[in-house]
Amino acid sequence: MNRFVCTICGYVYDPKTGDPDSGIAAGTSFDDLPETWVCPICGAGKEVFELTD
Amino acid sequence: MPAREIKKNVFAVGAIDWDRRLFDELIPLPDGTSYNAYLVRGKEKTALIDTVDPSKTAELIRHLQNLKETSIDYIISHHAEQDHSGSIPDILEMYPEARVVTNEKCKSLLIDLLPIAENRFLTVGEGSVLSLGGKTLEFIMAPWVHWPETMFTYLAEDRILFSCDFLGAHLAQSDPILLDEPRGYKAAKRYYAEIMMPFRAQIRKHLDRLQGMAIDMIAPSHGAVYPRPEFILQAYRDWVSDRVANKALIPFVSMHGSTRRMVEHLCEGLTAGGVEAIPFNMIRTDIGEFALEMVDAATLVIGSSMVLAGPHPAMVLAAYLANALRPKTKFAAIIGSYGWGGRMMESLQGMLTNFKAEMLDPVFIKGHPREADFQALDRLADAISGRHRDIGIL
Repeated sequence: MNRFVCTICGYVYDPKTGDPDSGIAAGTSFDDLPETWVCPICGAGKEVFELTD
Repeated sequence: MPAREIKKNVFAVGAIDWDRRLFDELIPLPDGTSYNAYLVRGKEKTALIDTVDPSKTAELIRHLQNLKETSIDYIISHHAEQDHSGSIPDILEMYPEARVVTNEKCKSLLIDLLPIAENRFLTVGEGSVLSLGGKTLEFIMAPWVHWPETMFTYLAEDRILFSCDFLGAHLAQSDPILLDEPRGYKAAKRYYAEIMMPFRAQIRKHLDRLQGMAIDMIAPSHGAVYPRPEFILQAYRDWVSDRVANKALIPFVSMHGSTRRMVEHLCEGLTAGGVEAIPFNMIRTDIGEFALEMVDAATLVIGSSMVLAGPHPAMVLAAYLANALRPKTKFAAIIGSYGWGGRMMESLQGMLTNFKAEMLDPVFIKGHPREADFQALDRLADAISGRHRDIGIL
């Protein structure tokens, strides 16, 4: 599954680990994150994330 | 200083801070700055666009009094940061009928940062329109230039874009309209470097968005009004592009001269190879100048002495800024010298987590540079000029 990087702070969302602190289980794809999900580091919304390697 | 009319019934009523020399307790201000606020008078309603730094509230109020402004219906708040919003509470007190017009995010930040009652707000979103009577304000949401709540206002009849911090500059000038484009260019580039550079991806979207709009004048919240919008829009398009210049920046600090000799040798090698070398002694350098050069330099070489078993703190600052400002630098290296030992390389490398540049071989030596060290520096200079040739800038 694809990883996405926050263009504001550089945080990388990796579906393999998810975002447990925000209640996002490992294995959740970026597309399946709720629209209300925000970057756990800087608080930016999904719209500022870009596909990364 | 009287309030100044920039278009019929549109007045610059902000404050000029001629002698401020430091912003955010971080950024030097060689040209001072201004906090721009604009008053727009329609046939039925009057709007104040942004306010000023709280230290200059009296100047804003004096301008409003000079204009004999008896009624303000709306205070448009583009950005919650206090250098633009800080006078809102005082203005609300002077004009009890006024409402603060902003987006939900900015409203929430303003309530966090300032004593403003929730019932004084009127919230707007992308495409919302406010008619003042013959003057129509259209709101454009522009997050991340440079906070998540930032927005612009477009005054349709006069084709003025009020762009908040975006496209702005720290520049004190008595005339509200930019007088000297080369001076304005440097101030705006420096401002971009210090404030906007980390948000290149978002800026590109905003520039695309503005491309199709008819804009006769851009009125930012710091610096002067641009009567020729293409001047600043083209500059921004250039800065956010992936194009880099044939320059190697060398921020350095040297305690006993060894690192300095390494830097001087590297500069000579780069110059001989056709690369412009720009060393910055970070103890004496204005960090704004360093940031400005990072806007488009292809290469960054960090040169440090070691102290307390790690990098010199001045170089920690340089590396931290380079990492936080996220310039489009393509190539980077670390050089330096130490007396007895420590973990300087690991510390500096560990600070460059956002840095996308290709890391070239470091040159890290014990004591003063010897022949083999100079050869290693020559190889680094060759590697840099070779990379610059590979990407077609040399």
